[in-house]
Amino acid sequence: MSAVLTARDLTRHYEISRGLFQPNAQVQALNGVSFELQAGKTLAVVGESGCGKSTLARALTLIEEPSSGSLQIAGQEVTGASKAQRKQLRRDVQMVFQNPYASLNPRQKVGDQLGEPLLINTQLSRLERRERVQAMMQQVGLRPEHYQRYPHMFSGGQRQRIALARAMMLQPKVLVADEPTSALDVSIQAQVLNLFMDLQEQFNTGYVFISHNLSVVRHVADDVLVMYLGRPVEMGPSELIYNRPLHPYTQALLSATPTIHPDPSKPKIKISGELPNPLSPPSGCAFHQRCPHASERCQVEQPALRLLDARQVACHHAEQINS
Amino acid sequence: MSLLDIKNLSVRFGDATAIPVVDGLDLCVEKGEVLAIVGESGSGKSVTMMALMGLIDAPGIVTADSLQFDGTDMLRLKGRQRRHIVGKDLSMVFQDPMTALNPSFTVGFQIEEVLRQHMNLKGRAARQRALQLLDRVEIPAAASRLNAYPHQLSGGMSQRVAIAMAIAAEPKLLIADEPTTALDVTIQAQIMDLLVGLQREQNMGLVLITHDLAVVAETAQRVCVMYAGQAVEIGNVPQLFTTPSHPYTEALLKAIPEHSQGQRRLITLPGIVPGRYDRPLGCLLSPRCPYAQAHCREQRPTLDDHDRGAARCFYPLNLTAEVA
Amino acid sequence: MTTESLSTSLDQSLLYPSPLKEFWQAFAHNKGAVAGLAFMILLVICALFAPWIAPHDPSEQYREFLLTPPAWLEGGQLQFLLGTDEVGRDLLSRLIHGARLSLLIGLASVLMSLIPGILLGLVAGFFPRLLGPSIMRLMDIMLALPSLLLAVAIVAILGPGLINTIFAIAIVSLPSYVRLTRAAVMGELNRDYVTAARLAGASLPRLMFITVLPNCMAPLIVQATLSFSSAILDAAALGFLGLGVQPPTPEWGTMLASARDYIERAWWVVSLPGLTILLSVLAINLMGDGLRDALDPKLKNAQ
Repeated sequence: MSAVLTARDLTRHYEISRGLFQPNAQVQALNGVSFELQAGKTLAVVGESGCGKSTLARALTLIEEPSSGSLQIAGQEVTGASKAQRKQLRRDVQMVFQNPYASLNPRQKVGDQLGEPLLINTQLSRLERRERVQAMMQQVGLRPEHYQRYPHMFSGGQRQRIALARAMMLQPKVLVADEPTSALDVSIQAQVLNLFMDLQEQFNTGYVFISHNLSVVRHVADDVLVMYLGRPVEMGPSELIYNRPLHPYTQALLSATPTIHPDPSKPKIKISGELPNPLSPPSGCAFHQRCPHASERCQVEQPALRLLDARQVACHHAEQINS
Repeated sequence: MSLLDIKNLSVRFGDATAIPVVDGLDLCVEKGEVLAIVGESGSGKSVTMMALMGLIDAPGIVTADSLQFDGTDMLRLKGRQRRHIVGKDLSMVFQDPMTALNPSFTVGFQIEEVLRQHMNLKGRAARQRALQLLDRVEIPAAASRLNAYPHQLSGGMSQRVAIAMAIAAEPKLLIADEPTTALDVTIQAQIMDLLVGLQREQNMGLVLITHDLAVVAETAQRVCVMYAGQAVEIGNVPQLFTTPSHPYTEALLKAIPEHSQGQRRLITLPGIVPGRYDRPLGCLLSPRCPYAQAHCREQRPTLDDHDRGAARCFYPLNLTAEVA
Repeated sequence: MTTESLSTSLDQSLLYPSPLKEFWQAFAHNKGAVAGLAFMILLVICALFAPWIAPHDPSEQYREFLLTPPAWLEGGQLQFLLGTDEVGRDLLSRLIHGARLSLLIGLASVLMSLIPGILLGLVAGFFPRLLGPSIMRLMDIMLALPSLLLAVAIVAILGPGLINTIFAIAIVSLPSYVRLTRAAVMGELNRDYVTAARLAGASLPRLMFITVLPNCMAPLIVQATLSFSSAILDAAALGFLGLGVQPPTPEWGTMLASARDYIERAWWVVSLPGLTILLSVLAINLMGDGLRDALDPKLKNAQ
């Protein structure tokens, strides 16, 4: 299996103007993210608000150019790609958004929205497009008469199905799903997740699944990338990370996630405080202000991602904490 | 006497023939107890509490055999009397802290308003108390935050402020409507800890409305599960989660990714919650229930007690005794 | 691979009326709006069939019947239901023919400002870095000048007459369309569905006209209806000042102007055209209110 998506040191910085007399502030929204995604596999990107996952999503779907670093989709390098190459790249990456009530065009019929990617990117005739759309609609559990309807006539779960269908119309190699089930009820979430899994099996698409819901992530992900303030802090196979998290932040996240069968023998790791301001990030390790194991070294020196126990961790004291 | 005693509460929008959004609900909360109301969209969980607080406007019609809070009949309360209770003895924390706070006034002003209205504190005394409250909800640098506007605070901070406002008048019952749904996981844990800590400290009743079963499992003592406007199961934590007695509760639990048992596909109920136009004649779950019999599709079951709680089902699950 | 059935067995077509039907149901709810619509339809009929409906030719002067009062007053004549003006022309016929002109002025000026307004607004919204601010500054300059004075100035430069009146009014209403469109476009550009269209590879023209524009139409339609009425008022004002449509063309404002001197002696020559203007503007505004309420983009749910 070859890698459908390769990211090396992806970085994205923003300039924020602070008025006429002050120099622009720089927000380091994304700092040095690297990973490889194989066809048919799922990489979950986990973190809380401000960790950079939305920025990552925008970089992966080519909405924004990274400030530095390289991104290869299906072997094709993104930076410096020609116009024709970009067109092909467009077809290879698609996205499903979080809010089912905002991701469909309110004034366009569902059938037309599903057919639009085909209209723009292929030479199929109107009849052929319609057939493809009807086939996809059936696969995601919609009925033929839904073709004529407008989005406001559907529930949240149905809209996510439509959004997923639209994303898969061009059979992309990579699908970026940005919190696709966060706005849905438990049982609808289960239906939609099942659909995600089914489509992945059928089209062998690689998924980048962004979520803050760790129990959902555990169910869908093959690999997990945990992010904090724009940096990767831990990355590795899903089961490994869940059973034996090494980074204090990952441990805190897992501990804070409520579970149906709480284990009284496992004490809850409580971390206080909130995410630091991205405009003035802390020196050294971004997590040191909230970390129960922080030392002086953590205040000064930023830890690099290194290989430990079959996964990547960015922590100076990972061995001591987990011995 | 229970702190909160609701019998046969129904809420309709329209006339008496309109489909009820809340249908014949029986609920009670004891002093100092944590009760969770769990349900998905359309289950009527938020509307129940809004009805209790008198926040349902026309064309909504609220009917109940009894809607007692701390001995007072909430149904017959009018204007001033209601204002003495709601916001003081009975208060609420809402889902989205960003919209629950008034963006045009400082945090300090809003807390002091509650103190002025319900606790008769003014001026410096009010300011002192507001500061104490902010400290109690663990807001760092509380003194400087008194003058902050809501948009200057993060989601977690705003929710703490909202909680401070809710407990300012030392309520007997606090209703929290999805208080942490809009927050990050670590902040969620902090806020839930705070709520439970406050509840224990002040011996308040706490009604937690949520769709997140895991939060319920970690926080509540008793649970009421709602479906399509009806209470379908009432039980204690953790028994409800290990041995649910209603098929809907069982289905909800099975649909959680935690319970996937390594299977790629999650087990779900087919179909969706009945809306206005497709309400079944019999049990509301019968079109989707894997255990449904012919009997279930024709008659509506009542909420019957059993040894672990109550279930609205002709054939409850996991019971030792047989129920007809 | 199994799929779950999501539907119920009910006749779905009852639950999901077409957008047009839904719109009409919401619109008809507002009685004032329906009344306004009825009056407008009456005006349109007058305008379309004026030569056949009007009892007399609007420019024919009946020398024997100068300043005849309306039929229900003493001295009135049945052949001149609303009386005659200072040169003996039938008022009713002039009002009916005047409807033609007013509607023409309204329609033409709205179209002439709506279309360029939408285009400029779209460009300003899609190119917010350089082109957008330049366009908006230009619009700001235009808005800084009082609209009527600007119209007067334009007509003074170009000369009086029907076409130039329309032109002047169109220019004066342009900035509000540009602003509205730009605001609506900028609001929509942040929405996920626009990003999704970009991801599907939509070209700029497609994004502008097929993805974004249909979602911006609601406030524009309301504004268009309302500027219809202010176009009529502006034309009347220009006519009153003698700069717009010239006599003997039966434009309502011009009729007002030439009857200025007769307010005391023959009030009907002034009041009736004034009343017609009033009723028309009121009807259009009521309709515009109803349109705005009906097109209000609340998030519509399946339930």
